[in-house]
Amino acid sequence: MNQFEPKIITFLCNWCSYGAADLAGVSRFQYPPNMRVVRIPCSGRVSAKMILHAIRNGADGVWISGCHPGDCHYIEGNYYARRKFYLLKELLEYSGLEPGRLQFSWISSAEGVKFAEVAHEVIEKIRDLGPASRFIKRLPEVA
Amino acid sequence: MELNDTLRDIAKKLLEEGRVDAVLGFRQSSLAHMTEPFLATTAEQADQLVFNSCCRMNLAVYLTPDLFRSGRPESGKKSPRVAVTAKGCDSRNIVTQIQENRYKRDQVHIIGLPCTGMADKAKLLAAAPEGIDTITEKNGTLILSRDGKETVVSKTEVLQSNCLSCIIRNPVIRDEMAGDPVPELDMDSHPDRFADVAEIEALSPADKAGFFETLVSDCTRCYACRNACPLCYCPVCFVDESRPQWVGKTIAPTDVMAFHLLRAFHDAGRCTDCGACEAACPMDIPMRAFTRKTIKDAREGFGWETGMDLNLRPPLDRFDLKDPGDFIR
Amino acid sequence: MKPIHIKKEAFGPAMAKAMETYAVAGPVPDREDAKRRHLFRCLEKGETPDLEYTATQLSPKALLFPQAETMFRFKVPSGGKKAPFLEAESFKERPLAVVGIRPYDARAFDMLTLNFDSKDYKDPFFLKRCHQMVRVGLADTTLKDTNFSTACGTGPFDTTALDILLAKTEDAYIGTVITAKGKSFAAAAGFEAGSAEDTKALARMKQEAESRMRPGPDFSALADADTLDLHGEDHWARLAFSCINCGSCTFSCPTCWCFDIQDEVTGNDGVRLRLWDTCMTDLYSAHASGHNPRQERFKRFRNRFMHKLKYFPDKYGQGIMCVGCGRCIDNCPVGIDIRTIIGEMNAKAAGAAKAAGTAKTGGTDKATEAAS
Repeated sequence: MNQFEPKIITFLCNWCSYGAADLAGVSRFQYPPNMRVVRIPCSGRVSAKMILHAIRNGADGVWISGCHPGDCHYIEGNYYARRKFYLLKELLEYSGLEPGRLQFSWISSAEGVKFAEVAHEVIEKIRDLGPASRFIKRLPEVA
Repeated sequence: MELNDTLRDIAKKLLEEGRVDAVLGFRQSSLAHMTEPFLATTAEQADQLVFNSCCRMNLAVYLTPDLFRSGRPESGKKSPRVAVTAKGCDSRNIVTQIQENRYKRDQVHIIGLPCTGMADKAKLLAAAPEGIDTITEKNGTLILSRDGKETVVSKTEVLQSNCLSCIIRNPVIRDEMAGDPVPELDMDSHPDRFADVAEIEALSPADKAGFFETLVSDCTRCYACRNACPLCYCPVCFVDESRPQWVGKTIAPTDVMAFHLLRAFHDAGRCTDCGACEAACPMDIPMRAFTRKTIKDAREGFGWETGMDLNLRPPLDRFDLKDPGDFIR
Repeated sequence: MKPIHIKKEAFGPAMAKAMETYAVAGPVPDREDAKRRHLFRCLEKGETPDLEYTATQLSPKALLFPQAETMFRFKVPSGGKKAPFLEAESFKERPLAVVGIRPYDARAFDMLTLNFDSKDYKDPFFLKRCHQMVRVGLADTTLKDTNFSTACGTGPFDTTALDILLAKTEDAYIGTVITAKGKSFAAAAGFEAGSAEDTKALARMKQEAESRMRPGPDFSALADADTLDLHGEDHWARLAFSCINCGSCTFSCPTCWCFDIQDEVTGNDGVRLRLWDTCMTDLYSAHASGHNPRQERFKRFRNRFMHKLKYFPDKYGQGIMCVGCGRCIDNCPVGIDIRTIIGEMNAKAAGAAKAAGTAKTGGTDKATEAAS
């Protein structure tokens, strides 16, 4: 087993996708353990700085999941997030990030099955891309 | 009448009549190919105001809370009204700043400048390697003279690249004009408007990464691009935040890229492509390659063109149910 | 002072020979597509300093004082049983010869040294490099309009801070060997001896270059002016109005030496870095309490000029902290000219001295006091 195991930073909205992860767990839907979950109050809370920070610190992928359009706990947070993520994803991929490293999804707290499925897809896609090589911050060498 | 004379007359009149407390404009710098942003507070000082092809900075940068506070004396006088000379792009940044509640529309008196583009500093110096004593503009040409010798260049040849794809040459909002409006280039829906961006988009991810690493490799992190930008007015810039530290302070490629990427993203939906960042860069880095992408995306994704209408909220402060969402599972 | 004469075609082989003994740094075109820009860096085998360059946008100070310098690396083993580990700078470098440096830029190295080699502190990183560095200068015969180095007590042919001075002629580099260090380098590179003709030609070129320079600013009244008076003048906000407080002046300046030290840590592994800093940013003078004595932009602007033109001369007694290279003028995005600022400061100082002279008779005014 020399298969590459990616590390993926996952931002999950407290009101939906985090619950979905919970539901997938109690329902015993299996998915690979390559994610490190960060619970957030709303997908709108995730800023570009956080995503780039994860990538700079060596995450092989970043996955952000929030509520379906219309279901936001804060009424419209995910709509703002959508605009922001659209611009950010385009900009990062324009500057050399491989398509697939940055993933987004809408998963409600009732969708445990979808959560496990998307987790599979995200992880496999990033596994196929191999270890991250761009934008990573490494400590300078001693001269 | 020459545009500069009209400009000075307008400024003098505004100051003499007490309609404004100061006029923000440009004056000639000690170098022929440079101008210096300048605040005239008396009619006498207004005589120094100029507008030519070397007014590359964006004056909206100087419309700070400090400026509006500065003249408020103990007498309880209301905050000063400032007149600002504005090119097309400057005016769009003023619109953006008003949208973002930096100040109110009635605090600024906008003297519109019809603009036919700015001459690129590097291109001017390359055209006259011996140096330039004076620059005279005549019928679309620039006459660069040095010790009596003259080099004539066509203005189009030395224009900044952002001016070639300019969509608004006359100010979108103004209280008066210092000259007749110039014809627009009609670039806004021109098929080649974003040809430069499309070229980069067509590269492979590895080539894109290589392209941008070379592009910013000379960056010294002096932040001239940030400070020359009328959008960059955060009280604490993300590069100066230390807990957590989002961006390392070294000149390693990854830190430099992180700075330019986040800077560009902060300008997404706000950038007017005024070119002040590139004009300010001491290393001539064409960092508009980043911001141009965000302009293209905001246009294609949300039908947004920055700074055209005072009554619209900024694009990231609103949404549409039909916004692009295909990238979300 | 021994004359040397190197044919242009012999220069490349001479550098290759010198590289057997020395690490060589010099001006090279930045990139193939950026012909107008040269920068100073350490050269690889097979590279030759391009002495046909006209100017560099950045000064060569990074060779002595890198923009980002790793001072040491540390590791704190987890578990807490083993002692933390620390790896310091090793200085394995060969002696570095900087070839093609401008004489006034070399003079700036001496100014940096005043700060890094003081009575109170001797900076090991800087001094190690400084002591082993050989400075092979190239006289500036393609002076920019903004250069006022002669007014600053140095000049395009100044030999005071060099080991060897070269000057470019049609088909050769002529020059003189100034120090013993220079002599060793000339021997290692196999520079041919020159003749009395070359010495004469050099003197002629020097006079010709200096005569073409534009008059520099006058700062004669600053030395005797009162520091607090200069600091408190009412013109600073006006002078600083256009300044956007970027660091293009300080980063391109050969004499600005301010730095910031910070740790970069991942997990248990970290490095301590020394990084260029600039007094133009508010972070530079921000206190941990949140207070900032230079919160307003003009105060930062004032500090830069006061430091160069008043605090430094008063502290070290070796003239102003400026060699007149003109880079800050060329690079300033808003057209601020240090010569203009010097002029304004000097006029205020001269005015104050004159007022003091007329007010007090009997020679007890400040200027006379300071002079005695």
